[in-house]
Amino acid sequence: MSSLPAEFRRHFLSWDRPWLPQVTEWLARDWDRAGPLDLSATLAILPTRQSGRRLRQALAEQAAAHGAAVFPPRTHTPDTLLAAGAAAPGVATRLEALLTWCEVLRRVDLAAVPAVFPVAPIQRDFSWAWRIAEILFQLQTQLTENGLAFADVAARAPAEADRWAQLAILEQLQVAALNARGRRESHAARRDWARQPKLPAGVQRIVVLALPEPLPLAVDVLAAWASEVPVEVVVFAPAAQSASFDDWGRPMAAIWGARTIELADFESRVQACADPAAEAERTAAIAASYPNPDGMLGLGIADPDVASALERALSGANIAAYNPEGSPRKREGLFALLSAMAALAREPHFETVADLARCSDFLACLRDRGEGEFSAATFLAQLDDLQARHLPADLGAALAVGGRGDTPLAAGLRGMEAIRAKLRHGDFPQNAIDALTMVFGSRQFDLGDGEEAGMAGALEAWREVALECASARSTFVGLTNSDWWEIALRAFGELPRAEEKPPGALDLQGWLELLWEDAPHLVVAGFNDGFVPDAVVGDAFLPESLRETLGLKTNSARFARDAYLLQALAASRTKGGRLDLLFARHSPAGDPLRPSRLLLRCAEPALPGRVEFLFRPVGAVRPNRPWSRAWKLAPRRAPPPERVPVTGFRAWLACPFRFYLTHVLLMEPVDPSKVELDARDFGTLCHAALEAMARAPALRDCTDEKTLGNFLLAELDRVTHARFGRDLTLPLVVQIESARQRLGRIAAILARERAEGWVIERAEWPFTLTLAGLEVRGKIDRVDRHEGTGALRVLDYKTSDAAVPPQKSHLRPANPADDASPPWRRVTVGGREQVWTDLQLPLYLRALALEFPAAALSCGYLNLPKAVGDTALALWPELDADLQASANTCADAVAEAIRAGKFWPPAEIAAERDPFAALFHHGVEDSVGWEGMA
Amino acid sequence: MIPRHVMILASAGSGKTYALTNRFVALLAAGAAPERIVALTFTRKAAGEFFDEILGKLARAASEANFAAGLAADIGRPALGPAEFLGLLRGVVDAMPRLRLGTLDGFFARIVRAFPLELGLTGDFEILQEHAALAERRRVLRQMFSRAPGGLGQAQREFIEAFKRATFGTEEKQLANRLDGFLDQHHEAFLAAPAPELWGNPARIWPEGCEWLVAEPRKLAEVVSSLRGQLAPRDLSEKQRARFDAFFAALPQWTAGAPLPRAIEYLLENTLAVWTDVRRGAAEITVERKKVALGPTECADLASIVTHLIGAELGRRLEITRGIHAVLRGYEAVYHEAVRRNGRLSFGDVQRLLLPPPDGPLLASGEEGGEGRLAIDFRLDGQFDHWLLDEFQDTSFGQWSVLRNLIDEAVQDPTGARSFFCVGDVKQAIYTWREGDPTLFREILDHYNQAAPGTIAEEQLVASWRSGPAIIEMVNSVFGRGDVLMGLFPGAASENWNREWRAHESARATLNGHAAWLHAEDEAGRFALTVRLLHEIDPLARGLECAVLTQSNATATALADYLRREGGIPAIAESDLHVATDNPLGAALLALVQAAAHPGDRFAQEHLAMTPLRAVLDAENLRTAEAVTQRVLAQIHADGFERTMAFWLKRIEPVLASDDFFSRERARQFVAAAAVFDATGGRTVAEFVAFMERHVVRDAEVAGVVKVMTIHKAKGLGFDVVLLPDLEGDRIDQRRDGLAVQRAEDRTVEWVLDLPTKLFHSQDETLAQHVRAAEMEACHEALALLYVAMTRAKRAMYLITKTPGASVSRNYRKLLAQTLGDSARPLMVGEFTGSGSWEAGDSHWHEAVDNRGEKNGGGATIPTARANAPAFLPAPRRPVRRPSAGRTGRVSAVQTLALDGAAAAEFGNQVHALLAEVEWRETVEPDGWHRRGVPHAVVSEAQACVGAAQLAEVWNREAGAEVWRERAFEIVLDGAWIAGAFDRVLVGRDRDGHATWARIFDFKTERLPNPSRVGDAVRRHSEQLNLYRRVAAVLTGLPPSEIACELIFTHEGLRAKVPLS
Ligand code: SF4
Repeated sequence: MSSLPAEFRRHFLSWDRPWLPQVTEWLARDWDRAGPLDLSATLAILPTRQSGRRLRQALAEQAAAHGAAVFPPRTHTPDTLLAAGAAAPGVATRLEALLTWCEVLRRVDLAAVPAVFPVAPIQRDFSWAWRIAEILFQLQTQLTENGLAFADVAARAPAEADRWAQLAILEQLQVAALNARGRRESHAARRDWARQPKLPAGVQRIVVLALPEPLPLAVDVLAAWASEVPVEVVVFAPAAQSASFDDWGRPMAAIWGARTIELADFESRVQACADPAAEAERTAAIAASYPNPDGMLGLGIADPDVASALERALSGANIAAYNPEGSPRKREGLFALLSAMAALAREPHFETVADLARCSDFLACLRDRGEGEFSAATFLAQLDDLQARHLPADLGAALAVGGRGDTPLAAGLRGMEAIRAKLRHGDFPQNAIDALTMVFGSRQFDLGDGEEAGMAGALEAWREVALECASARSTFVGLTNSDWWEIALRAFGELPRAEEKPPGALDLQGWLELLWEDAPHLVVAGFNDGFVPDAVVGDAFLPESLRETLGLKTNSARFARDAYLLQALAASRTKGGRLDLLFARHSPAGDPLRPSRLLLRCAEPALPGRVEFLFRPVGAVRPNRPWSRAWKLAPRRAPPPERVPVTGFRAWLACPFRFYLTHVLLMEPVDPSKVELDARDFGTLCHAALEAMARAPALRDCTDEKTLGNFLLAELDRVTHARFGRDLTLPLVVQIESARQRLGRIAAILARERAEGWVIERAEWPFTLTLAGLEVRGKIDRVDRHEGTGALRVLDYKTSDAAVPPQKSHLRPANPADDASPPWRRVTVGGREQVWTDLQLPLYLRALALEFPAAALSCGYLNLPKAVGDTALALWPELDADLQASANTCADAVAEAIRAGKFWPPAEIAAERDPFAALFHHGVEDSVGWEGMA
Repeated sequence: MIPRHVMILASAGSGKTYALTNRFVALLAAGAAPERIVALTFTRKAAGEFFDEILGKLARAASEANFAAGLAADIGRPALGPAEFLGLLRGVVDAMPRLRLGTLDGFFARIVRAFPLELGLTGDFEILQEHAALAERRRVLRQMFSRAPGGLGQAQREFIEAFKRATFGTEEKQLANRLDGFLDQHHEAFLAAPAPELWGNPARIWPEGCEWLVAEPRKLAEVVSSLRGQLAPRDLSEKQRARFDAFFAALPQWTAGAPLPRAIEYLLENTLAVWTDVRRGAAEITVERKKVALGPTECADLASIVTHLIGAELGRRLEITRGIHAVLRGYEAVYHEAVRRNGRLSFGDVQRLLLPPPDGPLLASGEEGGEGRLAIDFRLDGQFDHWLLDEFQDTSFGQWSVLRNLIDEAVQDPTGARSFFCVGDVKQAIYTWREGDPTLFREILDHYNQAAPGTIAEEQLVASWRSGPAIIEMVNSVFGRGDVLMGLFPGAASENWNREWRAHESARATLNGHAAWLHAEDEAGRFALTVRLLHEIDPLARGLECAVLTQSNATATALADYLRREGGIPAIAESDLHVATDNPLGAALLALVQAAAHPGDRFAQEHLAMTPLRAVLDAENLRTAEAVTQRVLAQIHADGFERTMAFWLKRIEPVLASDDFFSRERARQFVAAAAVFDATGGRTVAEFVAFMERHVVRDAEVAGVVKVMTIHKAKGLGFDVVLLPDLEGDRIDQRRDGLAVQRAEDRTVEWVLDLPTKLFHSQDETLAQHVRAAEMEACHEALALLYVAMTRAKRAMYLITKTPGASVSRNYRKLLAQTLGDSARPLMVGEFTGSGSWEAGDSHWHEAVDNRGEKNGGGATIPTARANAPAFLPAPRRPVRRPSAGRTGRVSAVQTLALDGAAAAEFGNQVHALLAEVEWRETVEPDGWHRRGVPHAVVSEAQACVGAAQLAEVWNREAGAEVWRERAFEIVLDGAWIAGAFDRVLVGRDRDGHATWARIFDFKTERLPNPSRVGDAVRRHSEQLNLYRRVAAVLTGLPPSEIACELIFTHEGLRAKVPLS
């Protein structure tokens, strides 16, 4: 202290009361209360921005009590003090610094700096350089805390001297590259300024307020100014403790690292909770016990995992919470929109199209353009349809099939194309702004409305980022538009978005803010080791030992700081008020957490007791509730269908209720992740080729496998191109190839069958049957007639992966549970009791018999399964008149049931095989409240 | 004295953790710094328990003299007392953040974090969690699938070729699904052996050649016709002839890789049955139950056919294997570029980064670091002197390889100041399928002790502190029967088991209990018997912990459900709960977002309509799909999923029954999960739905329920009562499905092959050997699984299986029958009598037990008390107003976005800044402004403004007047806190310093379209300026009416009075 001038003084404010009211009184101690409280000649150095805000508000209150107002002191945190001092035209922005780093990193001969890059990167592209640049920039920032450059470290760190010497070479290159652009490196600017800092005009005294850890470089600055104006350091601690603080009010690590912390009534104030959610719930319960907690209760959050849980818990208790840190803009809608636009500019994959289509700003834009005619729901439904049918790879492919006409789909796709055109035209950021302007069109924001003002704020923030990029772009040529998008999106995403504080909301404050909280009751949640105090372990550049050597912030300094803060918070609330500390034993993921070791800074004899107390098992806060049902589903009532497709019979037999869901309610999911043909599409494609062949008169008598094959493949290609365009995606190529293989093999069989006398009688023959008043519709793939015998044969194409014989797919063996089922479902075949599961082929024969009453009929599958050698004609010789009669009875009964609206009881099907599994929990029967047909 | 190196084989329940913690304490007592002890285990939970235990032990020793004496004796330092233990406790507590006590994965990640550039990473990395890993995979696949203009690229075409080869014989109609399966099954194998020459390479599989792969085979058609010709005149029965004809007919049809038709299989099997004779040239093969004698040419022909068949199949498998490799390589190439290089790694990736290169170790401690070694001491701030490894049987060879050099350094430290300690139980090696390598234990022990005998001591712990005598008797009866094991499973599995086996004993000789093997007819019977036993024992009412163990998660879930439903027993499946989808509420919310994003999804729409959410939507006036889409998508867009979901949950909440705590808990979990999703940066509904469907929560540990879980999950846990009703299954020595990966002694991969079916692979000695070894491994693991299951119980254990029949495959039931006996007789459990064949202990053991109240449930309620009557009151909290920022009105998007609009704002700020520097007109210094580099336009506007004739009153010096420039103020007005700044105020004062007049000037840099619009501007700013007027009134003590207030238009040099309002 001897080197400091006489006008350097320390003041101690006792722990009788919280700090804030005391420090305001202290600042106002010379005020005569007549005029305004004028502190404008005072420069106050405080720990955080938020503390400055608190101070100014408290001063305003203090003055208001006397009907006066305040000319506030200027306030700075150590960091803003340096930043403001070094701010001058020509100092490089962070963006410029990073871009220069990128340039250096991509230019330099990495072999010349082997100690920095022992392994050469695979690709020295922009994103590699950017990531390294961020690391190096951050490293510069850390070193500047104590006014150091890379070269200084090389001189002081023998352990990795080579590495730092080479880093210093890189840093020189970076500084030189900036200088060449007429820019000064910002860290160097800070260091230079701090060497001869200029006191801001009008400052007549400096007060350092409860600053447990000023940056060393800022301390240098203040020390220099101490020779010009009085400097007063105000420490929140009883004067009796003055020996444990240094000149600048910093708690001394040697003392605070070892001393005991007095925590009164420890076991009722310190609470172990199971996890952050439990901490949140307890905290919310405390808050709820106050009729109006704002001002009475201060909340501190040390573990960020608690914050969002606490917001939820408080909102559950109808208490508003406010996070002064705000959330990053990454979480904002505009960011999502911009990301989708960036992706659209880069490559308009269909996925990007689908994402952008669901950005509500884009939808609003389409509505605007369509002058109210546009339906978002129709657009999205059509878009999903288009995807399911055409599997477009990208916007171009989508436009090719859906871009015409005046459907919402076409409007949407064309809108997107227009945006893309803007994005592809000219340079970033102007093109991005243009595209965005297009999206927002004529929209206006009412600044009085929180949400709209927020939107306007977001756009402004983006504009600022764009401007910065625009100005950097002139000096940093050679980056592509997509590099710039990446840069701008990162920068924008990291910006904080401060939301408006709802009236009466409780601040969720960080640990370091709490000293400035004046509420009598403080609750700190997340009081776990690693958060309070935090610790850096295993840094890739600055391990603890090196930090120590370099005079940077160390873990032990953090410990001392937090020990002091805890002591001050606790002591200032013993006379009135209360401090509760909550910690969790597990993270949300179930990993163990430890209580802060500050809680173990007790007198030695108490230590074992503390350990036992803090580490005792905690009971579950939330008792494990037995499963219970929130509600039963009440399916919409619709009249029984008047007509069903043939496939409906299989569905009804499998489960009448699911039949109702599919065939009456027409429930069918949309799969937004569809990238390839599903089983049905695949079948349809193969069918189409086979159908065309059957309809080609020239091929009627063809027995040449090659000719048939060629025709089928050509037909397949035609259908494929019509539906999917010429450029197929990789999965489609594979699938079409598979279809070709299968059709090729089928050709051989068809040729053989023709040679054996089977001629096509009908192809894709549609029929209608009326059973018990129910209209049944079907389409028979193919009916052949034998030239010799005149017999007719029905063939159904099957493209399922495994070839199943018809008998097996229509009947299954009965089991004891079937005893209760009606007799018409059962039939005895070859002495064994069977149950009908499908009636497709029998229904075909029944329809055919009406048309050709005299012909001998048979039927079977023409399988196109995946395994080589499996492809075959699978006939159903066992389907004799008796079996057909049984099938007819069964079909009539099913038709009757359907007409009568019998859709209950359901079958219980294992969830893995049930396409409706999402609806049911613990049994279909229990899940649904079914009261019969209306 | 530092304790010596030790490897401990610790049987189940024998106090592994006790041994580990004692070791830790012993090291501390010997003076080791806590941060120099590396203690690694497999799960973070175990690491946490380990830490808690050490602290607990030290704390107790520090406060209880007796305990201290016991501990001191245990660690061989009888002189230590509570005071010394207190010192050690303080040491550990203070070192907390520096302790190296955690998981292997975490330890590796920490090293990699410290050396990113050295390991070829670009800075920091993140570990991919499940959802993220899947998302990455989808992204990579999408990238591979994408379509370049002008058709597929070269790499894509190669990929398709590879895929075709890999799936030969089956035409896949769905690629994406199949690829997913491929990656699930084979990705790890690929990463372990990326070199193409290891895959499907006959030269590596059969270095000496393979008898089936003939260089120049005879033409099949020729051989067939030759054989056919020879058989034609033979006297064969009709059936026999049919067999041969079918065989000959099928042969040309068959393609290798496709399933073997029965016609071929039949004769192939029968020929192989007498293969040596066939090779010799004289054989009798059985066809249709009668022998057919074959002569030399017939044999030669048949042999050719068989060789052709097997050779073709093997050849096909080799090709498929190479195809699989090429598919994986294609995927990997993209994956590596798109994922790993961007700093997204799996734990496996992290470990692979640290694997030593072929020329020596990678990691070294500081002093010993040589060229290319990573010297970890400096970067990780410390030295690693002592190594404690837990669950060593689960350590993989890869993990060991990473650590080996560091541990070598400790073991071979000439000063003897460092040490190595590990503990494990090869009998509990149930993770070999996850690369756990139980053979390492003995290998390492032998390795060190061969170099220098006695380097590492081996210890055995056999006394169980967990299980009572009845349990131990059963365990010994089953696993101590080396003869039976050898009989059932001859080979290495049993040999290894028997070598490590030591008869167990119970350290709790007086613990009353019961162990029995009971029988039931079928699955329903086993479940029912489980319920029956639980009712009889009623463990919960007696305060006993009870678990029911199963082999699979699915059974656990089903069984827990059954217990609750049929038995009314509070049971939970300790499996992962799909909290978002396992209940109607969550399902409905997912339907809501799906319906909003995909209005054409009739499934979601109808689902929604079936739930009470429909009425909620109606009440919000969202009656059409259009309305729902617009509203919900806008909500998600603006607020993310967490808030959106919370919004709708709040509205649906009143529908829930008042006592439906379960659904409310799920609602809470749903929103919490949505928050996790939001944090991933995901924004699309499709991703959200996928995330939520996979999201699982593990229930916090709770007392007072019967826990149903898999045996794997139960490892490391103990319960008073254990029921094992799920021990059914096929033979236990069955090789796991998947590629055959043959490893050499040193664990390097020798070859990889997609194995053909048994009929083929059993014909080849190399392949057969591989399969036998794999079966041995599986068998050992299966024994370990049963051992783990049977050693969880403290007091009572009930095995429930089907009645052991005469011929069953070599499964658990058979093992039990041969060791415990299979003659059924009535057995009692309390009042219940069932059928079983073995028991020990007291069948009425539970009747006298009452453990309730023994354990304190914890869960002390927090006093939610108010602060003690506060001695002080905080400053009131007020709403905040910022007059200058308080913008109102409407702005257009175009205006907001315009880049030149921003320039205007910036221009305005600069003009303001210059004007703030001007005290009086004469003090203006435009030259200084120019010199500072202020843009010309700014300077000239400021200059013109100061010089404007109309504005003389603003700038001219006035005697006795004080000027405020850009002056900040804070005030409380109308109950609000207002902070702002005046642009310029002139205050006149009398001699006493009292203000006599004041004028407020507010600068506006906006351009007026024409001077007549001044009135508009005044109206717009009137509220703001009148607020300034009131503030100035307070600050000066003048009444507001005395304060003049004017707008100054800097560009036009105009002023306009603002009337008092
Ligand atoms: S054919 Fe394709 S683009 Fe046309 S309406 Fe159908 S799905 Fe849409």
